[in-house]
Amino acid sequence: MFVTALPTIATMIGANRVVRGVAITNVFGDPSRSPASEVALRRKIVERALEMLETDVEPGAVWEVA
Amino acid sequence: MRAVHYLNQFFAGLGGEEAADSSPTRLEGAAGPGRGLGIEIAMTLTCGDDFFGEHEDEALVTLLRWLTDEQPDVLVCGPSFGSGRYGYACGTLAREAARRGIPTVCAMHPESPGVFAAEGAAYIVPTGTNVASMRETLPKVAALATRLAAGEELGSPQEEGYLPRGLRRNEHAGASGATRAIQMLLGKLSGETRTEVTAAFDHVAPPPPAHDLRLETLALVTEAGCVPQGNPDGLPTIRARAWLRYPIGTASSMAAGAFECVHGGFDVTAANADPNRLVPLDVVSQLVREGRIGRLHESFYTTTGNGTPVATSTKFGQEIGLELKQAGVGAVLLSGT
Repeated sequence: MFVTALPTIATMIGANRVVRGVAITNVFGDPSRSPASEVALRRKIVERALEMLETDVEPGAVWEVA
Repeated sequence: MRAVHYLNQFFAGLGGEEAADSSPTRLEGAAGPGRGLGIEIAMTLTCGDDFFGEHEDEALVTLLRWLTDEQPDVLVCGPSFGSGRYGYACGTLAREAARRGIPTVCAMHPESPGVFAAEGAAYIVPTGTNVASMRETLPKVAALATRLAAGEELGSPQEEGYLPRGLRRNEHAGASGATRAIQMLLGKLSGETRTEVTAAFDHVAPPPPAHDLRLETLALVTEAGCVPQGNPDGLPTIRARAWLRYPIGTASSMAAGAFECVHGGFDVTAANADPNRLVPLDVVSQLVREGRIGRLHESFYTTTGNGTPVATSTKFGQEIGLELKQAGVGAVLLSGT
C-alpha cells in the first residue's frame, strides 16, 4: 500500500490502498516535533498502513491517520 | 479583456522549493512568464506547490474567492510543463474556475496529473516536459485565451491544438477504420506518431487483504529517491530509467549520513536529516521485533518518482512486483510524494 501526502493524485492513477502521509517533504515525519514524538507519529502512520493491508477495501480507498 | 494568471511559487518569483509551502498570494498585474504572454494580465495568483497539494480545500477557497471577485474573462494557469504538483494545482484550479463560468487555458505535458484533475473542464495546450518549450507555448496559450475571452467557441482539439477533453462528437471519418489504421502505420514508419484514442491509466482491483501480517514478509519500496550516501549507482534526480535495490542487512534504522535523498522534485532537507521520514525502517524494524510483522524483506527498493513517464513507472511496478512475489513477500509499504 501507498503512504503519500498527495492521496488524490495516487487514487487518480489507480492506487487502491492509500494512507495520507504528513507532508510532501517528510511523509513519515514532522521536524517540528521532538524526536520521541516524531517516532511515535511515524509508528501511528505505519500501524495504520498495516491495518489497511489487513482490511478489505473499495478501489481507491484513502485512510487518514487519526 | 480581463485575464488572470495562476503561477506557482517559482514562476511567480517567490522562491524555489524552500517557498513551496507558500500560502495563496495575489499580485498586481503580470509576473514571470505572464509578461511574455502578450496579453493584459489584471492579476497574478500564486500558491506554493506543496501548500496546494497538502491544503487543497483551503487553497481553493482563497484562490476562487479572489477569482470570483475579479470576474475575469479568462484564466490562464501555468505553463506547468512536466511538473506533477504544479500541474495538479493548475488542473484543479482550472476545473473549479471553469465550473464557475470562467473559461480557462492551461499548458502542461500530456502525462501531467493536471490533465486528469482538470476533468475536461479546461483547454490544455500540450507541452514538452520542461521550460525549454516555454517560448513556443506562450503564443499558443495567449491565442486560445484571447479567443475564449471574446466568447468564441473553439473547434476540435486537433484543429486548435489543445488536448482532447473527453467529449464525444460524432463526425464522418471519410475513410474506413482499416484504411486509417494503415495510414497511421505508414505514418509511424516514417516517424510520425498519431492516435485516435488516447491512453488512460489502467485500474487494478484491490487485492484481498493480508490475512495476518504477523505471519507475512513486508517489503519497503520508495519513489522518494532514497539511496546510500554518495548515490553509488547514480540514481538520477529526474527521469529515472531504472529502479535499484539495496540490502538492509542488520540496520534497524535509516541512519542520517548513511543515506540521502536525491529526488529533484521537492526540498530534501528534512529527508536527509532523517531518512526514516521517507523509508520508515526504524519503526518497521521495531514492529518486526515485537512480532507485529512476521519478517522484513532483506532489501529495500528505490527510484526517483520525478518526471517518470507512465509507461516507465508501470514497467518498474511490474518488475519490482514480480521480484517481490517470487521472494514470497506478502505485503508492500510504498512511500512517496
